[in-house]
Amino acid sequence: MSSSSTRPWWLGLGVMAIGGVWLNGAFSLDVVANYGGIGPGLFVGLVGSGLVLLGLLLTIKIGHGERFEPQATEDMTPDAPFSRSGFLLATTAAAVPLATMQPVGFPVTAALVFTLVARAFGTRRIVQDLAFGLILGSACWYGFRSLGVDLGGFLPLVGW
Amino acid sequence: MDALPSLLAGFAVALQPINLMWALVGSILGTAIGILPGIGPALTIALLLPVTAQIAPESALIMFAGILYGAMYGGSTTSILINTPGESGSMMTALEGNQMARRGRGAAALATAAIGSFVAGTIGTIGLTFLAPTIAELAFVFGPEDYFALMVLAFTSVSVVMGTSRVRGFIALFIGLALGVVGIDGQTAQARMVFGSPELFDGIQITIVLVSLFAVGETIYVASRYRADAPSINPLAGGIHMTAEDWRRSWRPWLRGTAIGFPIGALPAGGAEIPTFLSYTVERRLAAHPEEFGHGAIEGVAGPEAANNAAAAGVLVPLLTLGLPTSSTAAILLAAFQNYGLQPGPMLFMNNAQLVWGLIASLYVGNVMLLVLNLPLVGLWVRLLLIPRPYLYAGIMVFSLVGIWGLATSWMDLLLMFVIGMAGYVMRLYDFPIAPVLIGLILGPMAETQLRRALSISQGDPFTLVSTPISASLLAVSLIVLVLPAILRRISPKLAPTT
Repeated sequence: MSSSSTRPWWLGLGVMAIGGVWLNGAFSLDVVANYGGIGPGLFVGLVGSGLVLLGLLLTIKIGHGERFEPQATEDMTPDAPFSRSGFLLATTAAAVPLATMQPVGFPVTAALVFTLVARAFGTRRIVQDLAFGLILGSACWYGFRSLGVDLGGFLPLVGW
Repeated sequence: MDALPSLLAGFAVALQPINLMWALVGSILGTAIGILPGIGPALTIALLLPVTAQIAPESALIMFAGILYGAMYGGSTTSILINTPGESGSMMTALEGNQMARRGRGAAALATAAIGSFVAGTIGTIGLTFLAPTIAELAFVFGPEDYFALMVLAFTSVSVVMGTSRVRGFIALFIGLALGVVGIDGQTAQARMVFGSPELFDGIQITIVLVSLFAVGETIYVASRYRADAPSINPLAGGIHMTAEDWRRSWRPWLRGTAIGFPIGALPAGGAEIPTFLSYTVERRLAAHPEEFGHGAIEGVAGPEAANNAAAAGVLVPLLTLGLPTSSTAAILLAAFQNYGLQPGPMLFMNNAQLVWGLIASLYVGNVMLLVLNLPLVGLWVRLLLIPRPYLYAGIMVFSLVGIWGLATSWMDLLLMFVIGMAGYVMRLYDFPIAPVLIGLILGPMAETQLRRALSISQGDPFTLVSTPISASLLAVSLIVLVLPAILRRISPKLAPTT
């Protein structure tokens, strides 16, 4: 997917929408404080207004044909074909902890995330990846716990 | 403030065995992450923040400084050997260094990069040693309106300089500012933009934003366009050495690169891209054999590498003296100081002299360690590139999870990780710079505090913001930074960068 050939109007509208949310939030706050200075709402309002204005400017630029080149980074080429499966697997890996972290704990979640990301990058050995992930997750859990970093229960589902 | 006695006292701290060990750990970690893709110094420091809460502040900051410098050394190795800059500051090194490696002169390229980094890092640290106390003393005269103007200058220059479009740079900045206002307002105790969630009362931590943007966003982005080829590493012929001719052609570019890199790094705009590019251009212009450029000219490696490391030292000047971060790594270093209840700025040199001078002294020590670690052991470091990418990125995601879940075992933090990670993916896809988000997030609340303080003192008079020569000058410079590219473009379309 080369974004330069399309006009991503949603980007400008999205920025304006975020600005709108912040602007709306500013209305529920005091703009002026009792003594001389400014209240907690003014800066929020300024930031919201700025985002709305910048979103508008971006939308205008998109209308004028602004080009968007994907950034170059290691291990990929910006003009490489878009890998839907790679994208979806990696995105799922980022979302999985939302569902699993509290019920099954860090080590199992780490194993799932590890396996999903490894698969997004092309491995096909699910059992081996799960084992690697579980070992890494458990090592992190024990190691960081001993350093004073609390990563929750080992397996909350069974009360550990 | 006399710099030399303070520096000597700093060496007494830096040379303690425990601090030498942390400097070594930082140098090793820094070199490794400079070589590895997908992980940079800012992300590494962010992931280490929860762990280092258990160790003394000077030890932790000495390790972080080692990571900052080490990443510069490591970045040059990948640029030269596989034509892949580990850090943005190594892009120019890749141009000539990789050509040298292809012609069997990789060893000389690595040597001039490492020795140049050492020379520049050491001279840059000397500059920091003598410049920082002076600026810190000057900063005592800064009032709130001056600090606010300084931050406006940092916002403007970071947004204009980083990335290819000013509008996108400012959007990134304002996203950071927007995230920075979330939480309880420190002055009125009112909750702002918390969307009814008590978990947001403490605000959004920079670690979450940084890890999500750099690790999660990057992993999703690379996975969506992954190139599965194994890196083609140019072999190193013989040992790491330079001929007499290499030395003759390298020493001037090292010094010129340092002279370019340090002052630009110390400016509020900061960054390593501009000085390395400038150094490359200067060396090309001054070279006795300009026709060699593009085919492996050693000056094109020596100059930019020196500029890169000198800029890293320069970035510490505004950070330590004014509390002003001008890069992603500086922003997370500021967060590290704040984790220990310390606020970089002029008072740091007064109240925490042992820590700040210990940190500066450790930079000298770290540079020597890095030279020793990088010159003879480069063959070992290169083996890191052979780690299978699926497991590298999977490991980065697991460690990111440690960094975020370990902060407060909060589900809201995981939600933020997902949302901001997706934003990081979109920002890469549509070429938004990421550093302004972090600068906005960490400097925004400080700018707001100074703005409110200035207006409270003046009883709401907005003209107080331009009432001192310092604030008026800084705001004028901000305006110039903002409009200059447009004016240049109008005068000569070839001079100005495309927006």
